Amino acid sequence: MSMGERSLEVVNLRKVYGLGGPDPVVAVDGLSLEVSRGECFGLLGPNGAGKSTTMKCITGFFAPTSGKVLIGGIDVHLEPKRARLELGVCAQDGNLDSDFNVVDQMVQFASFFGIAKREAKRRSDELLERFGLDKLRNRPIESLSGGQQRRLQVARALINRPRLLVLDEPSTGLDPEARRLVWDILLEWRKQGLGILLSTHYLEEAHRLCDRVAIIHHGLILTCDAPEVLIEREVGRQSIEEEMRPGVRVTRPPNLEDVYLKLTGASLSGAGDAT
Amino acid sequence: MTPVNSAGNSPGHPAASSMVISPSASIFAVWLRYFAVFRKDLYYGLVTTFVEPILYLGSFGFGLGSMIDHIEVDGRPLTYRAFILGGLVGQTLMFTAFFEGSYGGFIRMYYQKIFQAIAVTPVTLSEVLWGELLWCSSRAMLPAIVVLIIGIAIGDLSPWGCLIFLPIGFCAAVLFASLGLFVAALSKTIESISYPQYLLIFPMFLFCGVYFPIQQLPEPIRIGARLLPLTSVLSVAREFTLGTSYEWWAVPALLIWMGVLVFGSRRAMTRRLLA
Repeated sequence: MSMGERSLEVVNLRKVYGLGGPDPVVAVDGLSLEVSRGECFGLLGPNGAGKSTTMKCITGFFAPTSGKVLIGGIDVHLEPKRARLELGVCAQDGNLDSDFNVVDQMVQFASFFGIAKREAKRRSDELLERFGLDKLRNRPIESLSGGQQRRLQVARALINRPRLLVLDEPSTGLDPEARRLVWDILLEWRKQGLGILLSTHYLEEAHRLCDRVAIIHHGLILTCDAPEVLIEREVGRQSIEEEMRPGVRVTRPPNLEDVYLKLTGASLSGAGDAT
Repeated sequence: MTPVNSAGNSPGHPAASSMVISPSASIFAVWLRYFAVFRKDLYYGLVTTFVEPILYLGSFGFGLGSMIDHIEVDGRPLTYRAFILGGLVGQTLMFTAFFEGSYGGFIRMYYQKIFQAIAVTPVTLSEVLWGELLWCSSRAMLPAIVVLIIGIAIGDLSPWGCLIFLPIGFCAAVLFASLGLFVAALSKTIESISYPQYLLIFPMFLFCGVYFPIQQLPEPIRIGARLLPLTSVLSVAREFTLGTSYEWWAVPALLIWMGVLVFGSRRAMTRRLLA
């Protein structure tokens, strides 16, 4: 495989709900993006912008109305069983398997990728240790804190050594220490070529992690570039003055949140359609 | 865990990328997930497998049976105990398969989100649903086999007949498991599963001939009972295990019910998850 090959290519993705019905809803309206090896690509947008639908089409769970999704060059909708060998998913809603304890969960999940039990155990041990979960290995899922469950979900998504990791709101419930740990681990994996598609509401996190971010609204990418470039293009370099607390005025450099609010804020009232 | 494995594979270089897991292997992996959960709690498994058929057999077979002694089925005398044994086979198949599919399926789909988690691995949603259906059906075979073994042991049922009945009994299990999954797919809340439980399953249990030959019923009720799937299942079960007369419509009716419900439940579940 050449270094230049893409972890993910999305070409003209369109998803319409209720097609043929009286009230079709266009959730994703011709979206294209690509994630190179080792790149972290951020997808930002208000609720209802089409982020979740886009993510579900990318993982091959939803069939798109039209368009293509290639994971490591393989069409996920034409060859889901082959393409998804290369895919790790950490879904937004906690979907750990509460019928299994921490370590069995990992080994069990590996079986869906055809990973032999011994190898699965070895990988699980390594991942649990790296994610700081090895002391909890025999605990039931319900006894874990929200942050521990989140870490386990990210660890589980790496059990098949994916080429593309889809992270939907990974930091929800993580305290700063745990968040830093997850970021560090993802950095190591990216150096080995893992591409990441990240959806987040933490714009600070997006700014820090993402090589490029796209702001999406009404199923379309409004703008897409490196965070610094976006800030300069959309807001400029001039410092922003604002009243943070009553009587406390600060001057700060512009950030990604300013870009986000500028581009999506005007039409926030239009949010709330299909996600 | 370092992202590089012992073979020198990095995330971008999975050596196994050409290997595709076959559909049957994927379905089996899903089945094994359920079996692993079942095996973890053997007490639960044993109680739910043995207690119900033994209680019914004790109460109706030995209790009521001691008062009734012989009944006439198609002009042939049968002990009431033997008649009940034949009925219990169908009843345990129906109850176990239906409850596993409806309540179990709903919990896995709605609360645990297991289908959604597995269906972004190389296992497709279609395979997840086959695995679920086959598990519910195999699970239902256990108490039915317990009834058959008790019946053979006390000399009421024909050993060869029971053996030949097994495959058709499995079809009956698939039928009722599909009915359960259909209900799970259409239920908005777990409480609403009670409607089909009280309005369909309990009437079948009481009127389709588990405890008395349906010939005893007044004509309109009898015709209604004939149309319900448990009646066909019981007809076939008694034909094989007790040697009652062959009713030509029973096997085709069972297979048609099975086909319709398998198709309908898969469609409804797919729509529920992908809408």
